[in-house]
Amino acid sequence: MKENRYKNVLAVGVGGQGLITFGRVLAEAAILNGVKVLTAEVHGMAQRGGSVVTHIRIGDVESPLIPLKGAHVIVSMELLEAARYINYANKKTLLILNRRLIRPNVPGVKMPKMSDIIEKIKSSGLKTVVLDGDKLAEEAGSYVSANMVMLGALLGSKILDGFVKLEDVEKVISRMPEPWREINIKALKLGYSSYSKAATSDSD
Amino acid sequence: MSKVFLEQAGKTVLLMGNEAIARGAVEAGISFASAYPGTPSTEIVETLARYANVLGIHVEWSTNEKVAFEAAYGAAMSGVRALTCMKHVGLNVAADPLMSSAYTGVRGGFVIVTADDVGMWSSQNEQDNRWYGLHAFIPVFEPYSPAEAKDLTKEIFNFSEKFEHPVILRTTTRISHARGPILLGELRKPVEGEFLKDVKRWVLVPAHARKLRPKLLERWSKIEEAVNDFPFNKIENPGSKKVIVACGITYGHVVDVLKEIDKLDEITVLKISSTVPVPRKLVVEAVKDAEEVLVVEELEPIVEEKIKAIVQEEGITVKVHGKDLVPREGELTLNRVAESLIKFLNVSKQSIPWLETNQEISIEVPPRPPTLCPGCPHRATFFALKKAVSKLKIKPVYLGDIGCYTLGLNPPYRVQDTCIEMGGSIGAANGLAITTKQPMIAIIGDSTFFHAGIPPLINAVYNNTPFLTIILDNRTTAMTGHQPHPGTGITASGKTAKIIRPEEIAKSIGVEYIDVVNPFKLDETAEKIAKALKFIEEKGKPAVVVSLRKCALLVASDARRKNIKIPVYRVDLEKCTACTRCYNVFACPAIQVLEDNKAYIDPTLCVGCGDCAQVCPVKAIEPTIKPGKEWKELWW
Repeated sequence: MKENRYKNVLAVGVGGQGLITFGRVLAEAAILNGVKVLTAEVHGMAQRGGSVVTHIRIGDVESPLIPLKGAHVIVSMELLEAARYINYANKKTLLILNRRLIRPNVPGVKMPKMSDIIEKIKSSGLKTVVLDGDKLAEEAGSYVSANMVMLGALLGSKILDGFVKLEDVEKVISRMPEPWREINIKALKLGYSSYSKAATSDSD
Repeated sequence: MSKVFLEQAGKTVLLMGNEAIARGAVEAGISFASAYPGTPSTEIVETLARYANVLGIHVEWSTNEKVAFEAAYGAAMSGVRALTCMKHVGLNVAADPLMSSAYTGVRGGFVIVTADDVGMWSSQNEQDNRWYGLHAFIPVFEPYSPAEAKDLTKEIFNFSEKFEHPVILRTTTRISHARGPILLGELRKPVEGEFLKDVKRWVLVPAHARKLRPKLLERWSKIEEAVNDFPFNKIENPGSKKVIVACGITYGHVVDVLKEIDKLDEITVLKISSTVPVPRKLVVEAVKDAEEVLVVEELEPIVEEKIKAIVQEEGITVKVHGKDLVPREGELTLNRVAESLIKFLNVSKQSIPWLETNQEISIEVPPRPPTLCPGCPHRATFFALKKAVSKLKIKPVYLGDIGCYTLGLNPPYRVQDTCIEMGGSIGAANGLAITTKQPMIAIIGDSTFFHAGIPPLINAVYNNTPFLTIILDNRTTAMTGHQPHPGTGITASGKTAKIIRPEEIAKSIGVEYIDVVNPFKLDETAEKIAKALKFIEEKGKPAVVVSLRKCALLVASDARRKNIKIPVYRVDLEKCTACTRCYNVFACPAIQVLEDNKAYIDPTLCVGCGDCAQVCPVKAIEPTIKPGKEWKELWW
């Protein structure tokens, strides 16, 4: 029963990838559905192209922070960040990852290969679904909307069923100005429909 | 950001904690709000500024926290409700008027927000500003959630006005930058004030202050009594042998952990929102029949020590735990609170699913520290500065300051040998340039210069202290999210203002060597910095170089707004020799690395500053379109 009181969504990536908007849209949709929500995000110095994380807790919660090993799902906009925050996962955690690698701006940094990092994450044994978020976003109209693709994929995973409805997310996005309203809704839908495809191909 | 801010009463909307505090202040009917931006406090006044004209209230970005405090204090003297906001270390700057404000009191409600950065996400320390409340005899209130932040803000305006005394609202990063559903209340209209002359109250000469001091202590006793009935303090499930005292934000963590172990309806919880002064009667009532008490509070044992004193004075035999079980440093998280509660309540870890899992999943990855943005003019200045220094074959000490440019401490730049506090670069140079023979270079941003850089520069002119001050003028307060300041020509609420230029200040105070440079002309900037350093060496006097170009984030957003095409740069892979200079020595994050170590410029990140083209030794980098005049003008 405890398990169904709330859902912990950890969204991670690199400063500038739209994680604050991701959290805000999801949280506003939860409120439209009459479900309580708390989010925690980081502003200021930590944000300048650094590693960023947004905690989103939906349901019967009072604290805005997700405990380590306490995420039901981790949505990652970037693969190094997915690996960095994997300590928020437990055996049952679902990982939804964007297939993108961004080099940290550190002189001489040794970068792992994309395939190696995906392999490493998968070897943790967690259910892992990888999507081409940036490509799908460009298909929707702008690379900037990759965050909405990943939000669509999160809803497509059905893990938030009973907490957040796709139509409420669309309602929240439709308050945005054009052209973002149209592009973001397209991105959201592309993410939503791509999830199951990606999930099947990843389990192969 | 949140258009929902002005929605009508009765609606539930998602607001960030800082927006909720702003809404609470408007529901309380403030007429005046002032602040200097600082994480995690910035969005309170930023939000109010956006709606200032609609609401008919005065909202301003003040030059620094001391001025912001004094301005709001002045407004509250006149009988209107006033708000001032700052980050924790900002209250150090404003500590002087803070102490005085308790002596005189105020006529209109006066709320001082201190946004403490527990965990140091964006600050030089994690000082606990509840000490200021004890020090100044000013009550401190702490919300546990964004929703409570709104209601508490509104309530403490009444509290302040009732006692004609200032109050502190202490928030932390996880309240200020958390979002949650907020039930909106009615808005109250601002009013006009009137200053009523009363020299015995407002003129703090010793003779008056001596008479005000016993009155202050008397007021404090009344406040100590009143917090026992403060509606945000409460006792839940009275009567258990083990009692948890949850202060401010920790209440949410405590409730969530108690739910996980199915003890929420069993354990007595004393929730304290007025942590200074501690509500004595509530404490006695909650702990009188208990055997053990655990005080859960972030940072210092302020409530813990007070409760230990209370039980001793009241003759209650109870063991009071606090910092023996709860960490003193850093943020309290659910994990840390759970560990403390499990020990205190003597329950098994197995009862919490996320604690029982032994398996720790972790993967090692390279660090990703925050970094200067693509096109950042600071990077260009740093590159030119290093070039000048290496040409002169000198080894200067770089005195850093607070702003985006603090990131210059990292390789490859390494041009921040100190970073103390706002204005500390020029300040410390005044000593270091005297006691050493090393060349001193103070590096400070425009907003920080206006905030606290002017008095130490006057000091350098007055005492004839030889060092170079480089003012990195990007025409905004960038780190906190682009707030205007006295050099920008615009006020918080969008009105046109006089532009105050740093080089004109330097000139008027008597600096004899002043130069203004365009950092994107790398060689020219390097030469001009070298010339300034030579002047200092020869004449033994201070010099100032203003490095003037707009923040790249502003330029990129202006370009989008005005529909001006950004001349994105590209690498000609035929010419690129994989020398790594552009991404390892210049280190622009828009430059990515291909498998053969050649460079690739990500067109989604490049903002067209063109610096990398000057840095490339084989001229392999070129713009995709010719940068136009319109484009160049955006950077001014």
